[in-house]
Amino acid sequence: MNKKVLEMSALTKRFGNVTAVDAVDLDIREGEWVAIMGPSGSGKTTLMNILSCLDAPTDGRYVLDGVDTSHLDDRQRAVVRREKIGLVFQQFHLVPYLSALENIMLAQYYHSMTDREEAARALEQVGLSHRLHHRPSQLSGGEQQRVCIARALINQPAIILADEPTGNLDEKNEQIVLDLFGELHKAGRTIIMVTHNPEMGEQAQRTVRLHHGRIDDSAASAAA
Amino acid sequence: MAATSLNKRDPRMFLRILLQSLRHRKSRVAIAFLSVLLGAAVVFALLSLYFDISIKMSRELRAYGANFFVGAAADAGGATVDEEVLGRVLSRIPEEKLVGASPYLYGVARLDLGNAVLAGVDFAGLEKLSPFWQVEGNWITVGFDEEHCLVGKSLAENMALEVGDSVTARKRETGFSKKLTVRGIVETGAAEDDQIFVNLPLAQKVLGEEGRINHVMLSVLSRDFDIEGLAADLERELPGVSAEPLRKVSYSEGRILEKIKGLMALVAVVILAATTLCVMTTLMAMVVERTREIALHKALGAENRSIVRQFLVETGCIGLAGIAAGMAVGFLLAQLLGQAVFGASISFRPVTVPLTLSVSLLAALAAAALPVRMAVRVAPAVVLKGE
Repeated sequence: MNKKVLEMSALTKRFGNVTAVDAVDLDIREGEWVAIMGPSGSGKTTLMNILSCLDAPTDGRYVLDGVDTSHLDDRQRAVVRREKIGLVFQQFHLVPYLSALENIMLAQYYHSMTDREEAARALEQVGLSHRLHHRPSQLSGGEQQRVCIARALINQPAIILADEPTGNLDEKNEQIVLDLFGELHKAGRTIIMVTHNPEMGEQAQRTVRLHHGRIDDSAASAAA
Repeated sequence: MAATSLNKRDPRMFLRILLQSLRHRKSRVAIAFLSVLLGAAVVFALLSLYFDISIKMSRELRAYGANFFVGAAADAGGATVDEEVLGRVLSRIPEEKLVGASPYLYGVARLDLGNAVLAGVDFAGLEKLSPFWQVEGNWITVGFDEEHCLVGKSLAENMALEVGDSVTARKRETGFSKKLTVRGIVETGAAEDDQIFVNLPLAQKVLGEEGRINHVMLSVLSRDFDIEGLAADLERELPGVSAEPLRKVSYSEGRILEKIKGLMALVAVVILAATTLCVMTTLMAMVVERTREIALHKALGAENRSIVRQFLVETGCIGLAGIAAGMAVGFLLAQLLGQAVFGASISFRPVTVPLTLSVSLLAALAAAALPVRMAVRVAPAVVLKGE
């Protein structure tokens, strides 16, 4: 059995009197593909923000790849993000004035050193070797999402976190992105995605359902 | 945790982000650039004027008359002093500090149509002392010319004299008489309008006061020159002589200069404040426009100091370019102002460069303080969440 790459225990996030994430316990092992699903207001986004170290929990413990992130300050969480996490956004979030290649290099820049060839290979892996020097505005939605995935992969992160990665894509591009995630999973990458999309959920190895900020154990499922 | 140190960062990538970011926001960058340019130009021009103004204003103010008087002391018992006093006074004043000087001898003489005050002067010196006198005709600039005179406007009207007319000056007590040609009609707006001006030696002959004068009036550049000390020295050295700066003029000169300098400083501060506000609002607009981008940089692992550095370097680049162009424009502006106000060009003074640079750069960076704070406060979790 693979080692645990992510461990959460009694993880809680409160905003004033509102408890958005309520004592969540969750372990994810290396190479797993986990889908986090749930209705609006179930705490998916809050949980995702904590998982991606964009936010800190109010209580509980969150260990990522051996680092207890629960009590890190802003600067330390920024270091964890660039060292251990690859983020894929629903709205792609590419820098508009940088080319596809430069957008990949931006992640390298904040991680360590830029490597143009390596960045080009990452784009090649997602089928965009012919779009290296195109700006985001010159790319289709599907292509932008693939650049976003290549950017998430470039620093060999411990986990890839994807927030509704196909939410802004048409059916054809959705399939392309799904296939890409499938390949990444086969290659041994740990993928955690938040999604409303049942098809995405079905593709995942495990589905975690949230309800009112808690994991709905009755609905937990394990797919082959 | 293996934190990647910032010193490993790639400066070429930083430069690439910087240039692309500036190119992407040409219009906003242009507004900030022009604001800084305007501020730096005004500061540079006013600083150039500031350093030149003391000299130029001093010369300009000298145009409004003499500022040093040497004459018979009130307790000496006589109204005249030896004309050698003029030479003694002039020997004590450095050539570069002396604008002009003239001896004066006054007396009443009989002209063709009545009595008038006859003033004996040195015309060359008088012209420098009184450049604001309006003269119809010509100044008598040759000292030894005893054939011509200047006549005050009122006197000329009363005696129906015009340029080119002849007038005879005589003194009953001395029996001396001289026929003179009116060379010019002078309008001063003061007592001189009722006087007739002749060469000093001629006046001495007419009035029977050979070798005597009433007083000497001088125009001296008082900046960096101890005019009070000169007066004290002269009174000690020349018994029966009173020497004194004409305080009102000297004091006013200083006060006017200070007021003009104060006004220039005020204009510079107001323009800089306006520039700072303009740059600040432009940068704030840029931060608002770039909220998602800033959030993305943070999500990718940028620390706050990276965000601060990028904004300060961007502001610094815009600021330095604007200041460089502003200094060039400011130099031209200084020349225009110099010509308009003093009728002379303004010298380039190297000290204005570091002063303009530091003041303008400080204003630009102060303008960046609030926008940078806004950028640092961008919360990626809020900005980047899906819709």
